[in-house]
Amino acid sequence: MTAGFALPSRFGAQSLGGCYAPETLMQPLLDLETAFQAALADPAFLLTLKGELRHFVGRPTPLTPAPRLASKLGLKALFLKREDLTHTGAHKINNALAQALLAQRMGKTEIIAETGAGQHGVATAAACARLGLGCTVYMGVTDMARQAPNVARMRLFGAKVVPVEAGQGTLKEAVNEALRAWAGTCDRAHYILGSALGPHPFPTLVRSFQTVIGEEARAQVLEQSGALPEVVLACAGGGSNGLGLLVPFLRDELRRVAVEAGGHGAALGEHAARLDGGRMGVLHGCKTLLLQDEHGHTAETASISAGLDYPALGPELAALVLDGAVEVRRASDDEALSGARQLCKAEGILPALESSHALALLPALAAEGVATVLLGLSGRGDKDLSTYQSRLGI
Amino acid sequence: MSLNPLLPFLMAGDPSLEALSALLAEAKTLGLEAIELGLPHSDPIADGPVLQAAAHRAIGRGATPLKVLESLAGITQSPDIILFTYFNPLLQIGVPRLLRLLAGTPVKALLVVDLPFGEEPGFEADLRAAGYPMVPLLTPTTSLARARHILSDRPDPGVSRSFAQRFAYVVARLGVTGTGQQVDLGPISARVQQLQAISERPLAVGFGLSDPRSLAAIRALGATPVIGSALVQELADGQNLHETLSLRMVNDR
Repeated sequence: MTAGFALPSRFGAQSLGGCYAPETLMQPLLDLETAFQAALADPAFLLTLKGELRHFVGRPTPLTPAPRLASKLGLKALFLKREDLTHTGAHKINNALAQALLAQRMGKTEIIAETGAGQHGVATAAACARLGLGCTVYMGVTDMARQAPNVARMRLFGAKVVPVEAGQGTLKEAVNEALRAWAGTCDRAHYILGSALGPHPFPTLVRSFQTVIGEEARAQVLEQSGALPEVVLACAGGGSNGLGLLVPFLRDELRRVAVEAGGHGAALGEHAARLDGGRMGVLHGCKTLLLQDEHGHTAETASISAGLDYPALGPELAALVLDGAVEVRRASDDEALSGARQLCKAEGILPALESSHALALLPALAAEGVATVLLGLSGRGDKDLSTYQSRLGI
Repeated sequence: MSLNPLLPFLMAGDPSLEALSALLAEAKTLGLEAIELGLPHSDPIADGPVLQAAAHRAIGRGATPLKVLESLAGITQSPDIILFTYFNPLLQIGVPRLLRLLAGTPVKALLVVDLPFGEEPGFEADLRAAGYPMVPLLTPTTSLARARHILSDRPDPGVSRSFAQRFAYVVARLGVTGTGQQVDLGPISARVQQLQAISERPLAVGFGLSDPRSLAAIRALGATPVIGSALVQELADGQNLHETLSLRMVNDR
């Protein structure tokens, strides 16, 4: 147990999570936990957050029945939780806005963020613009190239986007650089981590600001269909979307499924499926399932989806998986592309490549005899148009 | 007790693993009491660009943690080594194997940058019992109360032990390792005096120090300056250890 923290920092039977942070960041992390607890106990903060989620983000997001896609796939019913309809186009804004409000409450004037697909970066840049906070986003150069529209959006919102050239130039390197930057500016800056990972209290913070997805979805599906679905399904990169949707269903008798990026092959370096070949390890401040080589060096990963292209599964989600509460499946690049195409044609909805990994699992679930599914559509696919164009030949 | 004048940092495997034993012998000849040796890691989140690049070069040349530790076995012509590392490689090696690998090397202590005190108490206790204490790190964000806590959790093994096993590492400024920012010596001086008032342990001060004047200023406070990124860069550029260190060691001798 990390000295000084009030909230539990570990998850599950194998004590995942924790706080493996350089000493420079320990006091800022302790302060963050204190501020987080105080904010959650402050009705005025909660009221402000609720108001911003409603009037700026556009919550509650709809739960859209998808009858044509359901019937094509042989499902009785399919419901889509429409995080793609939030302002900035993905679930990331729920956490980014809440943490920006928290940072403001702490008297911080600058915000640092990492981003993979750019959705968290765009959400953070938008929240900072709205609250008048300075914003610097670290993004790998590979991701900047494949998610160029989001780079432009961040810059329009006044954020500084810093290219990270090390390694593969993806999310892992962006987190490295954001942690370094925070160590240099923690006296005035808050780091808005976008995934349910990192040192304590970040995984808890992010999860608690994202469970609004599942809370809304659970009430909506009961209202619309009078029953819970057999399966609740979400894609999982670090785990903010997966936990956000699945955690509010933990006490229900149903299957909770997270889908990882299967990339283009089964060998280490060809995918980002941490349940296949991931071992217990420490990266970016937490102990969790990690794709790594035998020396404890982080392995390379591959996915068509920048938001899932990350070597570690967030510690709380990994613990839920290891303890049997959540199943993990994988979908390949090609399966995700075909899942996206099906949704576009059947329902007129363009999903993000990340969300398409959840869609890609639907045929398999139908083949297993599943009749009803609630799927987290975590984001919209406008940012991925160039990938869809080149890979689907349209 | 005479002051240890300098604590240099080398990245194992950079310029090359083959050159390591000669570098350590040269360091011993220069009269250095202790040296920090970096275990190259893929994701060094507390290091700036120079040490990250050195780590990646070393990994590219095959300097795995096992090869580094095996290459240290049996070396006697060396200052005491403080193994500077991240936690994950040690976790993957595991304590029993790690202890076997460390036996017979000049490693006398570990500095695990991403392991705050109390996070892995069993791991720390096993290593300390085997003679490998963890170096306490104190940064500008560490309150004095927390500093006392850290110094008692990672206790001073006593005056009969060497500098490597006793010292506390005082981080001179916010941020990561490396040069480039001008270090303000005023707050460092106040900090060192504050810590000297609560602890008898030798102190080393690092992060951002490289020019002889700053190093001398740290010595004037009764603390040992650490030189890392600048040294690693100069060695990578082809200078030898004697060239790069002698100027930085002598000015107050």
